Amino acid sequence: MKDIIRVKSLISADVETLLNQQIKKEAQSSSAYLSMASWCDRNGFDNSAEYFFKQAEEERQHQMKFFRYVLDMGGTALSPEITNVKIEYNSFREIFEEALDQEISVTQSIKNIAARCHKEQDYVTVEFLNWFFKEQREEEYKARRALELFDLIGEEGTGRWEIDKHVGKIHYGNEAGE
Amino acid sequence: MQNTTLEVSTHLAEVYSTVKGAVYQSDSEKCWYVDFAGKMAKFDYRNILKLKKAIYAIDIEEILLNSSKTADVEIVFICACEHCYVLTLLEIISFKELLEGTFVMLSLNQILHDRLYRIAA
Repeated sequence: MKDIIRVKSLISADVETLLNQQIKKEAQSSSAYLSMASWCDRNGFDNSAEYFFKQAEEERQHQMKFFRYVLDMGGTALSPEITNVKIEYNSFREIFEEALDQEISVTQSIKNIAARCHKEQDYVTVEFLNWFFKEQREEEYKARRALELFDLIGEEGTGRWEIDKHVGKIHYGNEAGE
Repeated sequence: MQNTTLEVSTHLAEVYSTVKGAVYQSDSEKCWYVDFAGKMAKFDYRNILKLKKAIYAIDIEEILLNSSKTADVEIVFICACEHCYVLTLLEIISFKELLEGTFVMLSLNQILHDRLYRIAA
């Protein structure tokens, strides 16, 4: 009896489900960042708005990368439905706290997919995921640095204006330690 | 007509069967024949996955606990597939059992192929 399923698809049904969940997670992240950009713009934090617009775009690219991978491997990529996107935030700081939480959650979720891939020896997907691990290093670094500005500069007086000014300058070199 | 039946049956391999039904694989047509609820239906790769998803998605517990007077049948319609099933609760349970067994056997077949032909001994 031929192995038709393997001929049709490189990834297993379980990995496909996890990748589809990740597609949704990236889409949610992108929407959340867009919402954060909107809040920052409404409240006069121009640089932060720009930073979040860029982040929203990046998350969208991540989503598409997963989407195309599932299709390329013979799977069914699902276009996700995104609901309950937050509109209002209590403070400028809260936005950056949520941004970091979101990035941590994305990293953990990709680690979970990799764990599953290792279990079933799907090294092809593991290799694909490696790009994301490097990307998450940068994403978490940037989100953490942004939050640290609140402690370094302080929010009193023109503090928030100063923080906003510095958010756009956060940069992560290609190699750790740069 | 009889010839056609014979021709089909010669290249079908049984994947899994229960007392209620069976699933056969045709290597030449790259598809599966599902013998259930009084009919033999042909499914290709995409459609059998859609069938699996549709059957697995039925909440059996919810139907069991539902005390409303609605008919105890579920209509399983698969998009872009010519087959449709109208199943009672007992049939849903049997169908799920049949499909679960089928997919376990297909996974086992994949492991066997890996071990026997794909991975150098």
